[in-house]
This record gives sequence, structure tokens and C-alpha cells, in this order.
Amino acid sequence: MRSLLLAVLAAYVVAAIHAVLAFINKRRALQRVSELAMLIGFVLHTAAIVADWVIYGHYPLFYFRETVSFLAWTLVASYALVLYRYRARALGTFTLPLVSVLIFIAIITRLEPGGSAETSTISATWLFPVHTTLLLFAYAAFFVVFVTSIMYLLQERELKLKKFSAIFHRLPSLTTVNEIATSSAAIGLTLLTVGIATGMLWSSSRDGRLWHNDPKEIFAAITWLLYLLLILYRSTSRWRGRMAAWMGVAGFALVLFTFFGARLMGGYHVFG
Amino acid sequence: MSIVLVGVNHKSAPVAVREQLAFTEEACAAGLRSLVDGQIVREALIVSTCNRVEVLTETANGQLSDSTERVIQFLSRSDYLPRSLYESLLYTHADDQAVRHLFRVTSSLDSMVVGEPQVMGQVRKAYSIALEAGTAGRILNRLVHHAFRTAKRVRNETGIGANAVSISYMAVELGKKIFKSLKGQTALLIGAGEMAELSARHLINAGVSRVLLANRTEGPAARLATELGGEAVSFDQLSNYLAEADIVICSTAADHYVITEQMARDALNKRRNRPSFFIDISVPRNIDPAVGDIANVFVFDIDDLESVVSSNIRERERAAERAELIVESEIMQFQQALRALDIGPTIGALRQKLQDIARLELTNQRNRLGHLTPEQERAVEALLVSTVNKISHPLLSHMRRSYDGSDAETIQAWRDIFGLED
Repeated sequence: MRSLLLAVLAAYVVAAIHAVLAFINKRRALQRVSELAMLIGFVLHTAAIVADWVIYGHYPLFYFRETVSFLAWTLVASYALVLYRYRARALGTFTLPLVSVLIFIAIITRLEPGGSAETSTISATWLFPVHTTLLLFAYAAFFVVFVTSIMYLLQERELKLKKFSAIFHRLPSLTTVNEIATSSAAIGLTLLTVGIATGMLWSSSRDGRLWHNDPKEIFAAITWLLYLLLILYRSTSRWRGRMAAWMGVAGFALVLFTFFGARLMGGYHVFG
Repeated sequence: MSIVLVGVNHKSAPVAVREQLAFTEEACAAGLRSLVDGQIVREALIVSTCNRVEVLTETANGQLSDSTERVIQFLSRSDYLPRSLYESLLYTHADDQAVRHLFRVTSSLDSMVVGEPQVMGQVRKAYSIALEAGTAGRILNRLVHHAFRTAKRVRNETGIGANAVSISYMAVELGKKIFKSLKGQTALLIGAGEMAELSARHLINAGVSRVLLANRTEGPAARLATELGGEAVSFDQLSNYLAEADIVICSTAADHYVITEQMARDALNKRRNRPSFFIDISVPRNIDPAVGDIANVFVFDIDDLESVVSSNIRERERAAERAELIVESEIMQFQQALRALDIGPTIGALRQKLQDIARLELTNQRNRLGHLTPEQERAVEALLVSTVNKISHPLLSHMRRSYDGSDAETIQAWRDIFGLED
């Protein structure tokens, strides 16, 4: 499926370059090219994921390569949703290059030699794919929270200092980024909660234990707590702005650590 | 064919001269008709605004100085104005220079405030007057449309008009940056100064749905309230209304803080932390600077606004540099379009005509050739057509080479000789 992924990469790279240029030059024509390329990339990408599923016979979210590709897919889907709902084009300028990098990593990563026995036992129940899928979507939502929080902080700072950089005029309004961050955090927390719950159920059905105390689980719990706090904090008042934005940034640091860092410490969760 | 532009603008002439040279709409149409004589001046257009009076003419080859002289004389309104009044203040541009000038004017690169969009509308108006007067013809039509095209490119590709460069408009621009849109927002005006009124009008145009006006003396506030369609509110109830206002514009003559930090904090609590935006255009300041330290409250005083305005002006100047490149490339395209427009179709029509003659002769003489195979028949036709092409080629390429885009008579002569339809 490498050739299909290469086509996906090409489409995303075109989309990313045009998104960055549209951001710099504020030109709508470039933005349209970017959105069209992204759409083509997304369709091909979906096809690639389905093809993987059919060819390898397991839900294509198990090995590192598959995980990275799937994560890119959820990021594109999230950006498309935000674009549709809020017209916040600036998000693409930051999302699409990352998506391209992820696809590139997926392409250069060799598919681990097939332990089909392993995959079949793990994927035996529907709980495991649900667990991983939900978590990846949660991560994508938290990425959106992160980027919009950064946008909020940058703009709030410039408004307070009354010094506006070139980037200021290219970002969505304070209210818009605040709304995106709030709703994405709520969606992300919901996905994370259900994702963790299905993970526990799956684990208990497998070896009777809900909790293994491995680093990934511990950090996921901390992440979950932090976003819960963020949501509670936001809900106590209609507009929290700055502090909530900092939490959105900190939360994403934890997400990154949970996703990549905990892998290095070993433990029960061996995969991405 | 030459294009000549003669005129004054805000840089070349003081307003005292510009106002005397300026044309009203009626004077413009009448003036255009008297200026165009079909010989020296074949087409004309007058752009007359508060910042400029410019006469653009299209003239026959070699008539450049006559045409310029005629326009200078024309500006005197039959010697009503002494030429010494304005002659030394005029600038004269010919051909590429004139095209460049018009493109720059239309793209607002020659404006007092670079990038302000009004001038495009003014050129459009001038063009429609010339169209009605019947003085805009083949060349000026093309030229003006190309100028609009250039202006659009400049605006879309450089974003030159994007950032506000007037203090009164700043409220709208910053308001949009804080709130998603100004639709449905509430503005509170404290004090009924001229600047506050102007800002309020901009805000209403941008969609602000409710305007509250508070003034120490009820009279001016009530007057302005009816004028703007807002509500006059009591100055003593200010703290209550503060909570309702998303945008507050303060411009009283008071020598103390009308809005204290405590008032702003209370208002923010009542607003459940929704951000609010304060503009203080009064000197001495009416809003405690400490208000600006409160989270979700953004305060801009007159100095802040002015520094943003001047940084936006610098931004526009940078955009203007990019715009000049666009203007240059459009000038080249305009010249090419003009050239190809005139000679291209004539050459094409001529070549077609000659080939048609060859084919017609073949049809007429066909039965004298006896029996031919289809291949032989095609070969005969190809032979004739290629002979015609070979013979006419030097002529056609000479026509294309020697034509410099400036002589409509030559083209007409070619068309007449070969009886080409228009």
C-alpha cells in the first residue's frame, strides 16, 4: 500500500504548502487549492486505510506505522470539521504540515513482521479497536485545543501589549479560538473517557485486570484529570481565556508524553 | 496612437488650485465633449476628486505635444482661469508613464492614504461619465478595465487595504479581532464627541445592534441617540450599563477617571467574564489604566490607537512595494494585449481569405483536371494552399513585425485593400 500512501503524501504536501502560502499571502485562491488537495488526500487516505484492513486482515490500528497513519487521518478529519463549523483556516497552516510529516513517517517505517497470531488474539473482541480509535480521535481533538490555545495566548498577549505582529491579522478572532478550544476539549474529554473505559473492559475480559499500573495508564489518568479540570474550570464561567488556554497547552504536553514518552518506559502498553 | 495624462494631485498642487480646477459631474460631461475633436484628441476621461484633477486622452500618432497643449488650454475653461495659476503645477505623462499613473491611481498607490479603496469607485464614476458622454472608445475602454483589474489584483494579492489606518475605524477592526463579529454586539458611548460619533457610525455599519449613549448633559446624548438610532441612558447608571456593553467608547471632557478599576471588575463579573473592549479617546484619560490589567478586558487609549494606526500605515507601505511590481507586470500585459488585439485578427482574416481564394479556384477548375484519386485531389489542394501560404508569409510577417500597436489607420488600410469584413 506504499504507492497509495505516497499519493496521499503528495496530496497532503500540496495542501500544506498552499495552506501556508494562503496564510502568508491571505489569498483565497490558494486556500481553495489547499482544501481541494486535502479532500483528495483524505479520500485516498481513507482508501489506503480500508485497503490495509482488507489485505492484512486486522483493524489497521495496531502497529506503529498504522497508528501514525491513522492519527494523521483523525487530524485531517478534525481540521475538516473545524473548517466546516468555524471557517478557521489558520488551523490548517499548522495541522497539514504535521499531517504530512506523520504520513512521511508512516511511509518510511517498515511494517513490523506479521505476528498474525498476536493481532488476532488482541483484536478478537470489538473492544480493542474501539479503544484505540477513540483515543486517537481524542488526541486529535486535544491537538486542536492546543493549537487554538496557542493562538489565543498569542493574540491576547498582543492585544494587551498593543503591539501587533504580522501573524495577528491572520488568526481567527479571540472569541472564535476560545469557542473552538472549549468545544474541542469537551469532545476530546468525552472520547478519552469512553476510550479509557473500553480499554479497561477489554483488559478485564482478557486477563481479568482493569488496571496494570503501567506508565501509559498512569499518564493517561493524569491527562484525563487535567482535561476534566479544564472543562470544569471553563464551565464555572462562560469565558476563561488565558488560564484555560495555558491548561490546553499543558494538557497537550501530557498527551504527547502519554503517546510517545510512556512507550520508552515499557510496560503493558507496548504499542503507540 | 498615444495615451496622454495631464493633471494635478495632492502632492503637486495645493487645495486652493485643485478646487478651482475640479469638475462637477455636469461640467465633466460637457467638458469631455468639447475636448474630444476626433482629430487631435480622439478619446478622453476626466478623473476629478478632492485629491486630484486628471485628464486622460487618447491621441493620434505624432500629435502628442498638440494634444498636451490642448488639454492644458482646456483646463483654463476658455481662459477663465489664468494658465499661470496651474501650469507649473501640472504633471504630464505619456504612453507607458500615463498607463502606469492610471494603474497606480486606481490601485490607490497614489492616494493621500495609500490603500484606501474609495478611489476605485471614483475612477469607475469618471469612466461611466465618459461612457455616457461618448468619449471613451476602444483604447480607453481597454485601459480602464485593465486599471480595475490591476487594482483588484493589488488588493487581493497584497492585502493593502486590510488594516485600518484611521482611529475611528480602529474600534471596528479591533472589535472584530476580539469578538467573532460585531453583529448583535452592544456599544456604549460615554460622552458625545465628534470622534466618538464617527466611531459609533463605523460600528453600526459593521453590525453593532445596540448603541447606548451616556452624557452628563442629557441634550447632546438624546440628539445623537435619535440620529444613530440608539438609546440615551443616564450617566449615573453607568455601572449598570457597563455590564451590558461589549464595546465602550469614552470621550468626555472630565478630568478624572469616569471608569475605575472597581467598576470594570464589577461589570466583568456581571458579564460572566465575557471580554469587553474599551476605547479611551479622551485627554486626560477617562479610563483608569489599571483596567487594562484585568484579564479579558482590553483597553486602548489614544496613544495606543495612534501607534497601531502608524504601524498599519507602515504595513501598507510594505504592501505598496509589492503592489508596484504588480503594476509593472500589468503594464506589460496591457501593452501586449493592445498590440495583439489590433493586428492579430487582421492577419488571421487575411490568411484565411487568401486560402479561400485558392480553394475556390480549385473548385472552379476541377473538371478540367480529369479523373483524380482522392489522394491526388488532396495533394492538389495542399499544393495550392501551401503555395499561397509561402507567397503571403513574408507579407504577413512584415505586417506583424512593423506594426507597433499605435496605428489604427494602417490596419484599416490593409483591411480595405483586401476587402476584409469588419
